Amino acid sequence: MPLDLTGRQYADVPYEEKERLFEEVKKDLRYEEYLYGCYECGICVAACPSARFYDFSPRKIAQCVAREDADLFYTLLNDSVWDCSQCFSCDRCPRKNSPGGVITLMREVAVKNGLASAQEALEGYGRVVYKIMATGTQVSPDMLQANAFPDWGPHVNDISDNLDEWRRAIPPETLHTTETSWKVDDKTITELYLIWHMTGVMDMIREIDEGLFMILQDVMEEKLEDEGYDVSFD
Amino acid sequence: MPDRPILIVGGGPAGMEAARGIADLGYSAVVVEQKSTLGGTPVHSNYAALTPDFRDASEAMGAMAAAIENRDTVDIRLDSTVTACERRGDDFAVTVETGGTASEVVAGAVILATGFRHFDPGRETQQYGYYEHDDVITLCDLEKMLKAGKVVRPSNGEPPKRLCFIQCVGSRDRQIGNEYCSKVCCGVAAKESIEVRKMVPDCKTFIFYIDMRMYGYWENEIYWPSQEKYKVNYVKGIATEIVKKGDHLIVRGEDTTMGRPMEVPMDIVVLSVGMEASDGTRAMAKLFGVEQNKYHFIETIDGCMNTVTTSVDGVFACGAATGPADIEDSVSSASAAAMKAIASLRAKAAAG
Repeated sequence: MPLDLTGRQYADVPYEEKERLFEEVKKDLRYEEYLYGCYECGICVAACPSARFYDFSPRKIAQCVAREDADLFYTLLNDSVWDCSQCFSCDRCPRKNSPGGVITLMREVAVKNGLASAQEALEGYGRVVYKIMATGTQVSPDMLQANAFPDWGPHVNDISDNLDEWRRAIPPETLHTTETSWKVDDKTITELYLIWHMTGVMDMIREIDEGLFMILQDVMEEKLEDEGYDVSFD
Repeated sequence: MPDRPILIVGGGPAGMEAARGIADLGYSAVVVEQKSTLGGTPVHSNYAALTPDFRDASEAMGAMAAAIENRDTVDIRLDSTVTACERRGDDFAVTVETGGTASEVVAGAVILATGFRHFDPGRETQQYGYYEHDDVITLCDLEKMLKAGKVVRPSNGEPPKRLCFIQCVGSRDRQIGNEYCSKVCCGVAAKESIEVRKMVPDCKTFIFYIDMRMYGYWENEIYWPSQEKYKVNYVKGIATEIVKKGDHLIVRGEDTTMGRPMEVPMDIVVLSVGMEASDGTRAMAKLFGVEQNKYHFIETIDGCMNTVTTSVDGVFACGAATGPADIEDSVSSASAAAMKAIASLRAKAAAG
């Protein structure tokens, strides 16, 4: 869908709210290094892979924040920042702007404030987030199934049927796993859960996906209790 | 003859610098200035601070004037105009009128430093309503307010909350006939935008432009700071018209980089007017018979390799008399004109 920059679709959102979110981005310590000023040369767009596939322009992001236009900011915050692949090719800016960096900050603000657009953008990632946060690893051997990867050829069946054996054939013992990428020890997972709790990551998850939060909460509280921590996520 | 003075027409930055150069090299000059003080446009158009270094315009021009005043070899004729010129051998017998009294100056060479005039935004077209809306002003009008230390809406005396500049007014326009870039208006607008932001910190300030022409150090000295430090909003797109709506002006145009039409309210609209050949430049070009280009600026020969020599032997031109120029350009070409004028005196003396 083409990006609508008229601001009409968000006319009912109070300007003060748009300004509040913009201020939240601007007060981030990184902001000063990510944005100087934009003179619309377009080098960031030329380098941007997303710009080839979506109605997406890192130049418009840089320009919008440089102009301090809260209405435009709010539109891009909702309808544009999720089209970025965060590859930072746009960092070749002659003014030393980092549109990708500004987008990082904007996404964080969108997530922290539980914007509907952030929820929608992250909807498909619930399983990935669950796996990383619950286990500390993402891609695990048991994902290797013939029906999921038909293009990998017939031998995929052989491997997935005897996954445990294949894994145990790998010399390092830490890789003798099927449900996680590698063996994550109790100390690591305990610390990870504590970090996610203490740094506010769990609060972000709650803003974005209440159901996912509750599942993670059960897993984490139980584990932490076993390890002797009395932590409540509520 | 080498003992003849060099006549300089115009007492602005270029004329003053040419006179100083001539005197410093041991020759003599007669400076004819139509106004009652030296200083030229920076003084008479009430410039506050110079572009790009924010030096006080009156002080800077005062220092230039002080360098030629009270020197035996510089004869300054204020309130004076050149009304006639006749060749007498290699010399120029020039009639100078001062307050109705004519006198003759016999000069060995002539330097025309007659400068420019600001484009009158109401002259060709009323699209921006300069004479219609009180709050539509020019760079010079704003400069005057900055000099007085108070930026307010002319219509009601209130400080503006939103102010914009519109670039290229009277420049780069085939319809108007001024196809050239006036060179300084981008820098002046950026400089004034910084001053506005300093003086009225809660005034949102915009610059609507075709492309910002911030050559050399103007880029990092005024353009970047205005945008990065003073948060001046640069929007690529020129307004088509200004209309009044209630208490405000509405600027209509296109925000080209965002690809959307634009209709924004403003309290003050500043037209970045460009340069045209001054009346003095036109009159002196005709009087001395030097070639002018189609815009009536004085044409120098040999293109970019010679910025001061005119089509008439012994007549030189410098500063904005030859085309849009900033003060840096003007004093540079003034020094070149002084050098070439002296060289022409010496060559004629050597030829006997």
